[in-house]
Amino acid sequence: MRKFIIKVNGNTYEVEVEEVGIEKEAKSPVAKMAAPAPAAAPAPTPEPKVASLKEEKKEVAVAPGQEVIEAPMPGNIWKIEVKVGDVVKAGDVLLILEAMKMENEIVAPRDGVVASINTTEGAQVNTGDKLIVLD
Amino acid sequence: MKEKIQQLLDAEKKIKLGGGEERIAKQHKAGKLTARERINLLFDEGSFVELDKFVEHRCTNFGMEKVEAPADGVVTGYGTVDGRLVFAYAQDFTVLGGSLGEMHAAKICKVQDMALKMGAPIIGFNDSGGARIQEGVDALSGYGQIFYRNTIASGVIPQISVILGPCAGGAVYSPALTDFIFMVENTSRMFITGPQVIKSVTGEEVTQEELGGASTHNKVSGVAHFMDKTEEECIERIKVLLSFLPSNNLEEAPVFDTEDNINRIEERLNEIVPVNPNKPYDMKEVIRLIADNGYFFEVQEYFAQNIITGFIRLNGKAVGVVANQPRFLAGCLDINASDKAARFIRTCDAFNIPLLNLVDVPGFLPGTEQEYGGIIRHGAKMLYAYSEATVPKVTLIIRKAYGGAYLAMCSKDLGADQVFAWPNSEIAVMGPEGAANIIFKKDIESSDNPIETRQEKIMEYRNTVANPYIAAQRGFVDDVLVPSMTRPRLISAFDMLESKREGRPAKKHGNMPV
Repeated sequence: MRKFIIKVNGNTYEVEVEEVGIEKEAKSPVAKMAAPAPAAAPAPTPEPKVASLKEEKKEVAVAPGQEVIEAPMPGNIWKIEVKVGDVVKAGDVLLILEAMKMENEIVAPRDGVVASINTTEGAQVNTGDKLIVLD
Repeated sequence: MKEKIQQLLDAEKKIKLGGGEERIAKQHKAGKLTARERINLLFDEGSFVELDKFVEHRCTNFGMEKVEAPADGVVTGYGTVDGRLVFAYAQDFTVLGGSLGEMHAAKICKVQDMALKMGAPIIGFNDSGGARIQEGVDALSGYGQIFYRNTIASGVIPQISVILGPCAGGAVYSPALTDFIFMVENTSRMFITGPQVIKSVTGEEVTQEELGGASTHNKVSGVAHFMDKTEEECIERIKVLLSFLPSNNLEEAPVFDTEDNINRIEERLNEIVPVNPNKPYDMKEVIRLIADNGYFFEVQEYFAQNIITGFIRLNGKAVGVVANQPRFLAGCLDINASDKAARFIRTCDAFNIPLLNLVDVPGFLPGTEQEYGGIIRHGAKMLYAYSEATVPKVTLIIRKAYGGAYLAMCSKDLGADQVFAWPNSEIAVMGPEGAANIIFKKDIESSDNPIETRQEKIMEYRNTVANPYIAAQRGFVDDVLVPSMTRPRLISAFDMLESKREGRPAKKHGNMPV
């Protein structure tokens, strides 16, 4: 409960305000469409902390010798081109990350087998998120 | 007299053996060449003249008076590379581990001074255990004098550092102050504090190669510019680099007869950019199609791959290329790309090498990481470097040129002498999708079919604003080119700009954000 003193046309009112949580806004049709501009939907974050970015990342088990493919930039997973168990060669496209209005091909850095896929098509990812693990 | 001559020849022979057969064998076993072998590979046959070979250390601490150090562990001198004068020094790891003492440093300083006076490039082969501890502060002073000379010579003569062994602690700062750093896989090491110190202080365990190998400095830190598998390949690459550089800041880079048709029409350029603006393509292919004989000498190939830097020849003349790479990070500018490009632009400007800028940039990379990392001050370096450069600057907009990034890629306003654009270019404050959402917000919201309306408005925006003709109407773009005609037009522009002279107000030096 918070108290405010409000003056309107010289009259003073004492007002008590209680916060009951922010209701989710009903999305307009515009917001529902694919690929909203990154600047259009800034989620209100309380007190930006540098560390908070890293804490949110999902833990992905990585064995020694495995190679983790991380998101190079923030964006949406547009398409996943491989399945677990697929044999890939260096340079093969693993997935397409839609970011900055570009379909960015994320390629295998070396030959290997897809050990796990830790994201889904349409998912929003941040820089450094672990997307795919190669054996 | 005969006897005296024999004495001299014997002494020279001994000095040439450096640390002796055994240590030479050890050096070879480690996959490394000796200092003199490196020198011989670099210079034209028989052209190398050694300086100061009889120099010896003067240290008497800790029994050092009994220690012999032929040439004091560093070979210095001059010779020719492809017929052009070049100075060099090579630390000899077989002599006291190539450690740097007072006289060792004095020899390097002498050859640095000579290179500066004669206006010729200097190449330093680094292979040293570090400061010669027995010589204490004299050794430290030696490093300081080398750093000072590196700085004074910066922008006057090309300075090239080759790391072919350990280069640790303070020693790293001489290479860092020079124009280009070459490294070789598995033998080069550069770090300020080694793995042991790191482990004792922070507890992190890291191998020498992971910490400061060629791969680390070429891909992650951006400290080095070139990486090769063998020393022979590395030294060949140095010669190619030298062919793109003038001997000093008052000369022009050498011109070669490349025998490539200056009026070559490249039909492939008409279809290289995908119709869908969201699709990536390889900018390096564009560069090769424009260049003489398709030859592109890339600088910092593995670092910040979202921007491409390197040299080509156009009509035989060296040109520095700065290009966005849509295949990597969508071609966005970020902290590392800005640093890489700014450094390259200033290197070209210092050595009178004209700049060609190929633009396909959607903007600066968004994110807290970038903002907290200081993208504002890093990005500013690009603006500064382009504005400051007085060499001929030609910009070709290939596809996207949006917002601040459009300016940062050497727009007309930053002093580009000629700006060209391909007909599919989009030059605007922001992309059509984002812009339509803002400008036509009300139209879209009040529409019965918002999705369709939005698409219509995006097209409307693209047609009216996001094209090269608005910019061309205002003279920000000098001409819109048929892509296949690009090479002849660029060659013509650089020919026209050859006599360009541009002054700047006298000042000590600018204050570039660093």
